Amino acid sequence: MTESGPVSGAVAGPARGTEGEHVSGTERAAAHSRRWPFWLPAGVLVIGLVLTGVLVWISASTYSSNERRLLDLRVREAGADFTGAFAAIQTPLASAAALADATSGDVTKFIRFTTPYTVGATPTFGSVTLWRVGADQTGPLAVVGKPSELSATPSRAETFFASTAASRSHLGVVGLLAQPRPRLGYAFTSPGLTGRYVVYAESRPLPANRRSKFQKSSTFSDLNYALYLGSAQRPEDLLVTDLKKVPLTGQTASLSIPFGDNSFTFVVNARHPLLGSFPQRLPWLIGIIGVLLSIGAALLTLRLIQRRNHAEELASSLERIADENRRLYSEQRTIAQTLQHALLPETLPKIQGVETSVRYEAGVEGVDIGGDWYDLIALDDHRLLLVVGDVSGRGVRAAATMASLRYAIHAYAAQNDPPETILTKLSKLVSVGSTGQLATILCALVDVKARKLTVTSAGHLPPLLISDGTGTFIKGAVGVPIGVNTGATYTSTAVSTPPAATLLAFTDGLVERRGESIDTGLERLQRAATANHSDLDELLSRLLELRHDSDDDTAIAGLRWLD
Amino acid sequence: MAGLDANNTADVTFDIASADADGGGTGLKVRITGELDITNVDALESAVGSALERHPGRLILDLSGLRFADSSAIALWVRWSTAVHEIELRDVSPILRRVIDSMGLADTLNVKP
Repeated sequence: MTESGPVSGAVAGPARGTEGEHVSGTERAAAHSRRWPFWLPAGVLVIGLVLTGVLVWISASTYSSNERRLLDLRVREAGADFTGAFAAIQTPLASAAALADATSGDVTKFIRFTTPYTVGATPTFGSVTLWRVGADQTGPLAVVGKPSELSATPSRAETFFASTAASRSHLGVVGLLAQPRPRLGYAFTSPGLTGRYVVYAESRPLPANRRSKFQKSSTFSDLNYALYLGSAQRPEDLLVTDLKKVPLTGQTASLSIPFGDNSFTFVVNARHPLLGSFPQRLPWLIGIIGVLLSIGAALLTLRLIQRRNHAEELASSLERIADENRRLYSEQRTIAQTLQHALLPETLPKIQGVETSVRYEAGVEGVDIGGDWYDLIALDDHRLLLVVGDVSGRGVRAAATMASLRYAIHAYAAQNDPPETILTKLSKLVSVGSTGQLATILCALVDVKARKLTVTSAGHLPPLLISDGTGTFIKGAVGVPIGVNTGATYTSTAVSTPPAATLLAFTDGLVERRGESIDTGLERLQRAATANHSDLDELLSRLLELRHDSDDDTAIAGLRWLD
Repeated sequence: MAGLDANNTADVTFDIASADADGGGTGLKVRITGELDITNVDALESAVGSALERHPGRLILDLSGLRFADSSAIALWVRWSTAVHEIELRDVSPILRRVIDSMGLADTLNVKP
């Protein structure tokens, strides 16, 4: 009957819907994979903390190494003072020893030479004594200043002097003498020519608790220090310090100062950071800022992920809605097409002596139903009514008007009304003022046996009558479209048809093109219809090709005498 | 009879002016420029509708700038013709004139050359 029936349209709809759901499923999976994982903020935090740690380590170690370098520099400077002090000890002793050696132990000269070192406000030595090296020590040859502690134990003196004499430097340090107050004892043996003499001196008593501060004005007032005898830094070897408690803690620097066959160890640490407090605090500052930034970045990442994932969810739900809309649209379009076809005749009447064919082609690719229709109504065994109509507008309202007009025509035809009466009666049913719609209708009564046509037009394009390769439009009186005037009347035009004539009635969609006169379209139709001598069904199919992307609906009804 | 795809609205503009000076009584002059079809005919109807109620005497449609009109536009003009005392279509193009003639509406719409 038509090129696409309601059944095929109904099948196409659900199939498309299923395809749409399938697509949306894969899109949803893709949307899920586009989401960012929640471990990302933790990763950002870890990376931030690691970076912070590295920066803290770098700044701390830079600070530490700079501080150490500075401290090393300071301990050397400070140590130089002590080195000078030790020289002040060594030189008089060496000179006294040389004097004793040169004068063969002249006591008077010895006393005269050494006395200046034991008197005064800050004497270099507490006592200075002259000894002869060898066994059977009986005591010093001469004593300047206070008696020496070593005199009390001659055997110890003997051992000490022997070891000093044997040493390369000829300078010995006896170590700390405890009584009555702690002192240091030094001995110097001359390289010796004749008799070997030893000059032995004891220091002034060390300060109580070994405490002595650098002077406030000293360039080293920012250092703590400790001076040990020997290199072991044992508490019992402590000579002097400015601290209540030794050993020194924290970062220390030490300097070993050789003294005779022994040595002194000078240890310092800084009271305050030598580089200032800012470099010291910098690692802490970097650490705190780094941790805060890491936490901030992690929180920001979390927030971004939440937003992004939310947006993805939104997008995927919008996609679902779009899919659903596409499905609904397709479904609605299927319904519209089904309805359209349901409003057209399902079967065509069979009349002896003629063949009939019809076409309906929807114009717009949309859900709207058009208002075009065709109809063939058998009145008796040799007469039929051929109707083609077009309701203005689209949609359900146009379809409803079309349906009511179509069934009204059936009812009037059943009463045997001629075409002009049918249209006159129809004009009372529809008013453009109330419905906003017009309908153009062509109504042709065909008497097959008598070969007679009675055509009535309500504002419709004329039908084409083809015979012997010649096409003629039946141009009779054209009344106003149905709906313009409820009191309109119509007149018929009667035509006799030649043998084997073909009658074609159609709606404007077949001939109308935007920007072109309707006459051009009619001529095009006329040419196409007369050039073709194939059977009626083929002819109608070929005529539909004239539509040329028309956006308008098209209905065609054709009738051909078979003789 | 139908128009374009509803997604693709045709281009049209309207100029609505009182036409009192043109003749006696209340009148309205509407100049329609562009293409008028089912996709935008509702816009014309709502643009002119209320003015038409205030000026029910005479409606003049100046169609000199109208390149195309489909049957839904013609249906609207016919409807207006029933709402006003007198309608007049001016400067109708030959193509449109031919369509109106083929529909038997030249008298109803009072088409002036």
